[in-house]
Amino acid sequence: MSTRWYPIYQKGGPQLRVFLPNFWMKLVRPTYEQPPNVVQFACSMEMTKHDVKNYLEKIYNIKCIDIRTRIHMPKTRRDPGKGYIIKDDDIKFSYVVLPKGQTFQFPDLFPETEDIKQDHDKALDERKRDIKDSWRKNKHRPNMPGWFTA
Amino acid sequence: MGSLCKLLNNLNIRNTFSLPNNPIYRRTISCTTVKYDLMEFFDDKKNWGAQEVKSGRSWKKEELRLKSNTDLHKLWYVLLKERNMLLTMEQEAKDQTRLFPNPERLDKVEDSMKHLEAVVRERNVAYHQLETGETGERPGKLETGPFGLKFFYRMCEYPVPKHMNKKWHETHQFYKSNRDTEQFLLKYREKLYLNKRRKRTRDFNHVIGLLNRFPDLDMEALKEQYPDVDIEKAKASRKYGGHFAPK
Amino acid sequence: MRITDFLFSRVGKWSKQYSNLPDSYIKRAMEQVYWRNPKGIQYRANAAVQRKKYHFTMDRPWTEKFRQTNAPNKHHLKRKDKGKQGIIKEIIQERNWVIVKIGDDKEFSGVYVQTEKPLLVTTDVALVDPSELIATSIEWRYTEEGQKVRVSTRSGRIIPIPATAEETIDYKSRSTYKEQPKDTDAAATSEITFEPRLRTFEMDIMESMGIKEHRIPPKSYWY
Repeated sequence: MSTRWYPIYQKGGPQLRVFLPNFWMKLVRPTYEQPPNVVQFACSMEMTKHDVKNYLEKIYNIKCIDIRTRIHMPKTRRDPGKGYIIKDDDIKFSYVVLPKGQTFQFPDLFPETEDIKQDHDKALDERKRDIKDSWRKNKHRPNMPGWFTA
Repeated sequence: MGSLCKLLNNLNIRNTFSLPNNPIYRRTISCTTVKYDLMEFFDDKKNWGAQEVKSGRSWKKEELRLKSNTDLHKLWYVLLKERNMLLTMEQEAKDQTRLFPNPERLDKVEDSMKHLEAVVRERNVAYHQLETGETGERPGKLETGPFGLKFFYRMCEYPVPKHMNKKWHETHQFYKSNRDTEQFLLKYREKLYLNKRRKRTRDFNHVIGLLNRFPDLDMEALKEQYPDVDIEKAKASRKYGGHFAPK
Repeated sequence: MRITDFLFSRVGKWSKQYSNLPDSYIKRAMEQVYWRNPKGIQYRANAAVQRKKYHFTMDRPWTEKFRQTNAPNKHHLKRKDKGKQGIIKEIIQERNWVIVKIGDDKEFSGVYVQTEKPLLVTTDVALVDPSELIATSIEWRYTEEGQKVRVSTRSGRIIPIPATAEETIDYKSRSTYKEQPKDTDAAATSEITFEPRLRTFEMDIMESMGIKEHRIPPKSYWY
C-alpha cells in the first residue's frame, strides 16, 4: 500500500499494485541493545510488517526472517516558559531480523580523524592553561567573584 | 578600460537572462549505486564526516515530461533510496550532535519526487480524458455542511450503493433545514452583507480621496480597480473637491 | 499595512538566485517556530507560534548566523570612500543594500579590521558611464532586437550587464559548473525517451514488467 488515495479491493477483482510507493524508512542506531542480526528502522507510520518486508526485499534486496514493529511514544514535557504540555510526534520503529549468519553493525559515520583530534586537544590545552593562569593571578585575592579583575 | 568598465555594472542584474540554455548546467540528482545491501542506507564513505557535499539541482517537470514511463519508474526508486539515505544521515547527525552537510539535498530530492508524481498524474489524466471524458481521479463536489455552510466534499469508493450503506448515512451529515440553523444562517448572512456594504462605502470614500489628491487620475485605471464604484456619483458627492475657496 | 513590512518579510529573488537553494529549503531554514500544532484533527489546524517579521541583515537568511541577532558593534567609517569607484561584491535585496568592493584586499594584522558596510542602492551608489567613467543615472530601453538594456542618460551608451550576474554560491558561471558524482549528465537529461501511447502509467509499467492482469474490477460506487 501507499499513503496516497487508492482503489478499494473487492473479491475477484484485480490485485492492487503500488508502482510509486512514497513510504520512507531510515536506519537508526538501536535504542536498546539488540542481537547482531537485528536492525532497527524508523519508518512511515502507515507501514505494516508486510509493507516493511516487501519494501526491504523488493527495493533494497534485503532478506528478512522476521519483522516486529512498535510505536514509540516520546515523553511529554512541560514548556519551560509557558508551562503547557508538549509531546513530540510518535515514531514507528521496526525491528528486522536478518537471516542466519548475517550481521549488521551500525557504522561510525563521523570518524575522528587525526586533524580533528589534534585541534580538539589543542583547544583543551589552551583552555586548561587559561584557567591555571586565572588561578595564579587571583591567588592573593581569595573569595573574589570571577568577573572581578585587577 | 576593460577593468574600469566593469565598475559597478553588476549592480543591476535585473536583466532578462532566461533559464539555463547552456547544456552543461542541466545537472540533476541521480544515484547510480548498484550494490544492494544495508549500506545503501548510508552515504558514500568519503562523505562521512564531510563539511560540505555538493549537489546539482532537482529535476524539473519539463525534463521529466521527456522521459518514458519506465524511466520515470526507475528514477522514482533512485530518488526514494536517496531520500532514505539522506534521512538516515540526518537522523544520525542529529543524534550525534554533528553537522549534517547540505540539508538542502533533501528538499531537492523531494521536489524531484513531487514533480515526477505530477507528470505521471498528467499522463494518466490525459488517458482517462481521451477514453472516458473524465479525469479518472478522485471525484468531489460542493456540498452543504450541517451548519448550512458550503464545503468541498471529496468522495470515497464503496462496494455497496449509497442507499444500502447504513454506516455512511450515520457518519456523514449534511444540511437539513431546522429553526436553529436557519437562525444561525440569517445572522451569518447579515454579517456577510454588512461586511460587503462596509467595503462598498470604504471604496467609495477612498475613490473620492484619490480624486481629491490626484486630480489628473487615469479614469480607466480607476474604473478597472474599483468596478463597483460609480465615479460620476463620487464626483457629485459633497466630499469631492476639498476645502477650496471658490475663485 | 505598510508596504515595507510586506517587502521585508520575504527573501528577495536575487538572494535566492545567488544562494542556488530550493525555495522549500530557504523557508525551512529561515522559519523560527516555537511551537506548531501537530497534524491530525485539531481545533486549530496548522496553528503555529512562530516569528512573522524578520530583520534582514548582512547574514543570509538561511544561515545559522541569521538567527543570532546580537551582532557585535563595529565602527562605521562613514563617507570615507565617497566618490570612489568599485565593484559590487554582494547584493542584499531584502534591505536594498549592496556591498561595494573598492580596491584590493589588503593583509591587515592590526586590532581594527576594515570591512565593507552596506550601501543603499537608491541613494548611496550609482552606475558608472563606460565612456566617461563618471557616475550616471540609467534608463531601461529596448534595442532593435527587442532586448532590454540599460542606457546611460549622460552619454547614451549601453551599460552591459556583467557576467557576474549569473554567479551563484556554487559556480561563477553556468559553463564552469563542476559536475558532481550524483548529477545526471546533460545529454541524458535532455534525451527524449517518451513515446505517446494510449495507456496509463500503470498499464505501461505492467507491460514492461510482464505482469498480466485479466480480472475485471467489480462494480464500485463513488459517493
